[in-house]
Amino acid sequence: MKQLFDSGIELVVESDFIYFPLLFDPDIKKEIQTVFYSRKDVGNPDASDSKAVIKLKGKYFVKGFRLDSLVNNYEAINPNSYQRLKNECLRHYHLTREIDGVLLDGTLRTILFQVMPHFIKKSKDLNRKTLSDEAILDLIGKKTNIPESYYQEARTFSDIAPLKKILKNIENQTPVLDLPGSGMMSGHKLRDWLRNAVHVKVLSDEYDRITKSLKMREQFSRMKPEHIATLLYIADTGFLEIDGFGFIRKNAYRNEYYVYKRSGDYILKDYYGRSYLFPNCRVTVSTYMPFRPFVMEKYKHPFLLKYKSGQEICIKNFNPPDEPTDKCIINTLEEGLTALQYGYDPRKRNGYHSLDKLWIHIPTIDFEDYII
Amino acid sequence: MPDTDLKKELQLDEAEKLLPLVLEIIPGHAAEGLIDIYEPGSYAAKSLRKLCEKTLNKKNLSIEEQLIVEDIKRQLDGGKLLSRGQEIEGTALEYAVSEQTEAGEKYLYVPIRAIKPQEGGGISD
Repeated sequence: MKQLFDSGIELVVESDFIYFPLLFDPDIKKEIQTVFYSRKDVGNPDASDSKAVIKLKGKYFVKGFRLDSLVNNYEAINPNSYQRLKNECLRHYHLTREIDGVLLDGTLRTILFQVMPHFIKKSKDLNRKTLSDEAILDLIGKKTNIPESYYQEARTFSDIAPLKKILKNIENQTPVLDLPGSGMMSGHKLRDWLRNAVHVKVLSDEYDRITKSLKMREQFSRMKPEHIATLLYIADTGFLEIDGFGFIRKNAYRNEYYVYKRSGDYILKDYYGRSYLFPNCRVTVSTYMPFRPFVMEKYKHPFLLKYKSGQEICIKNFNPPDEPTDKCIINTLEEGLTALQYGYDPRKRNGYHSLDKLWIHIPTIDFEDYII
Repeated sequence: MPDTDLKKELQLDEAEKLLPLVLEIIPGHAAEGLIDIYEPGSYAAKSLRKLCEKTLNKKNLSIEEQLIVEDIKRQLDGGKLLSRGQEIEGTALEYAVSEQTEAGEKYLYVPIRAIKPQEGGGISD
């Protein structure tokens, strides 16, 4: 069927049925003549009453299937194509779970509007003020290169009229599936109709989610398009970094994020006063348990057991919070950064490893390559 | 300025020493802190620590500034004031760098971090 629709050959729609071109050979010719002579309307073969074979513009077409049954059963007939069309439809109306989830996600809102302002420079002037959510979105827009396509999407996103219409049709139980008019049409045209029809079916099946989305969109429609573009960009990429502070979406389904702050290069001194230059790293906390600071990249430090990525920073008397509130995320990142940059005591040689080599042989991590 | 510049002598010419001084005390690893501006001649003879105390005891703070001061005091409960990676001592001029506003007005800037030490290396609870 897909090949037929893609081929561009002429098909016929008649009484909500699709008719395919009839292959023609002497045997089929005989059969057709039998069919037509058996009908009452033998003198008018073009008149159709949902017959098995019809003749149009001198060509014969054989009855296929009902168009609405094709749409209703398309998921079973062609699962891959249905899934592709479904995804396309949900993306078109910004109804993908990622976008809905992210825009309503409380964790992301906490990170964006409560945690991030603590770690980024908000203005160049000397006044200190708390920024509104809108001002934070303006700041993100200024400091992030958001592709133009997101601004275009934002305009579609804020236009809630098409969604409202679909929802109203579903609520009124009026047929939302417009069948094509009778007559001859190309396979391409029918393919486009099928695409739209599947979209309508998907939206009908997703009634609950559309209702929820519509409520959310109504709130967002009051926002500036630039702000919606920023949120769509974050929803899509699941990533943002400004002034060394950033976050990465770890798991969209559970709305989990890695929130991090870059340490920048810093110096530690050993027992003999020698300086060691430690490279920049991302001190990170997950918004899903455990809420302990760790270093994202492969890294070595007296407070990290090994030389590898994802190691928890060993901190004394640190009580991890129970839930990832803004204060807890800020505090955990601060504790981790402070430990790395200011926690090593060269006299005590605290930590898993000593910066300088000890007289007694203890297998440990070597920091000699960091000496400056 | 990264802490790697700790050893670098901060070179200011005589004219720059007559600029106003902007002192910023930043709680922990925050991006912004409490700002205080000292006119030329009002800070040169005072130690940086004294200037910090004066700044922290400022009255008529906005709500935002009061929150920053609370954060700073929380850090200073057992913590210390650090500038360019080391505990502050001496005068502000020893830590100052010359900067300018967007309008092109020059000033001396001293960033100071209030850091509560976090000793690492123990097994966390």
